[in-house]
Amino acid sequence: MNRKAVNWSLGVGAPLLLVALWWTLSSTSTNTFFPPLSIILERFQALWLFDHFTSDVLLSLRNLLLGYALATVIGVGLGFIIALVPVARWVLDPLIHFFRGIPPVALVPIFISLIGFGVEMRLLSITLAALFPTLIATVDGIRSVDSGLKDVSAVYRLTRREKMVQVYLPAAGPHIASGMQVSLQVAFIVMIASEMLGSSQGIGAMTLLAQQSFMISDMWAGILLLGIIGFAANLLFEIIKNKVLAWYVGSKRLARTA
Amino acid sequence: MNAQLRQLLVSAGGIVGAILIWQFVATVPMAGGPLPPFSATFTELTQLLASGEFWSSLADTILISLLGLGSAAVIGVVLGILIGSFDPFRYATLAVLEFLKPIPPIVILPLVVLIYGPTTQMAWFLVFFGCVLPIIMQTVAGVHDADPVTLDTARSYGMGRTEVLARVTLPSAMPFIGTAMRVAAPAALVITVVAGLLGGGPGLGRSIYQAQAGGDYPSLYAYVLVLGMLGLIFQGVSRLAERRTLHWHASYREVLPA
Repeated sequence: MNRKAVNWSLGVGAPLLLVALWWTLSSTSTNTFFPPLSIILERFQALWLFDHFTSDVLLSLRNLLLGYALATVIGVGLGFIIALVPVARWVLDPLIHFFRGIPPVALVPIFISLIGFGVEMRLLSITLAALFPTLIATVDGIRSVDSGLKDVSAVYRLTRREKMVQVYLPAAGPHIASGMQVSLQVAFIVMIASEMLGSSQGIGAMTLLAQQSFMISDMWAGILLLGIIGFAANLLFEIIKNKVLAWYVGSKRLARTA
Repeated sequence: MNAQLRQLLVSAGGIVGAILIWQFVATVPMAGGPLPPFSATFTELTQLLASGEFWSSLADTILISLLGLGSAAVIGVVLGILIGSFDPFRYATLAVLEFLKPIPPIVILPLVVLIYGPTTQMAWFLVFFGCVLPIIMQTVAGVHDADPVTLDTARSYGMGRTEVLARVTLPSAMPFIGTAMRVAAPAALVITVVAGLLGGGPGLGRSIYQAQAGGDYPSLYAYVLVLGMLGLIFQGVSRLAERRTLHWHASYREVLPA
């Protein structure tokens, strides 16, 4: 067997082996904290497919998506203004850096005190917390746009709009994308946190409630679902990013081989 | 008036303006509501700074963050070198690490709280879990980034495996490890706060939860202000430490204008 085949079988085999180990080691488990995997999967199906699907899973996902989308639009827009208008930058820079220092989850109690435990609170928490990584990355991205590009667009007398859409946005694209990836993680974390802090709906709330009422298998089912969502969201982002930034990925590969 | 001074004045004006708006909103349209005026928050902050309880939870927060970060650094670098140096290890762990990396520690928080209770160990473990994966993966990337020519040169000088590791592989992986640590340090603080806020672990997170649950809004805002400053300090110190310890590396040397 050649080396490549060995590596492939290791890559596929190791995770499968881990799951198999979990299955067999836990199958006779009497430890309360680590119930048999078969029971966890049973509870997973009973809870999420599709008993609580619309009431909790869809609700969580909708908050996540909506909050994240708002955060990116506002983040990129505000980032453009701050990067291109010096006065705006001087006024807002210190404030933004201060807000960036606050752990995003610590904002959730403030929103709870201001507008209660409703869906609006969760949405607003997600949006505001996820705003800063994208915003800061956008500002950095635009400020590092190559001055040659700026000169060329001035020589060609591009209108302000053309400059924004056709020069600045693509040039800052890679920066913005990495900021958006961090924002996605933050949005996911705040989604869970906002549900765990005193809400009764959503996957996070269900998971924590299961833990508090000692329904360990239900808690495991929640952890499993959250893990899958976290992984899938990131994977989806990577796929879209590689599509949109294909020119950048390609040029980097060229630069490396050259 | 020179440009720098004007910029500084505008920035200071932005901060003062934000505080004035806060004070106005809290005392006129939202008087008696859940938003405390800045003046009340500031008074609360000065009282906090005089209380021993505040300093002990601040110390707890910093201690847990550093414990988690330190243990994640040691174990992450050792595992990263192992995985990076032996291809079979790398292929066997690739899928598992890639799956676990986008999953934030808040997902396993209910399980960890169940096992350890609201203790220091619980928070420590969460911080460790959140920081160790990125450090492992960056170390692996760094080990692979070692220049093959330098490696061959070292070998042709008759260096043994350990000597090559200590003199070539590890130094060339340092910037990767440094970047991972710079990102992990503020994250460690965030996770410590999450562990306190949602898991009841010791530290400022728990103080915030108690302030919110007790309806003590001035101290809730005061704690969040403190966390913002602490976050800035963590970011600043980790950036400074990275530059200080890696100043010798090519990617950190300042380019002198010709």
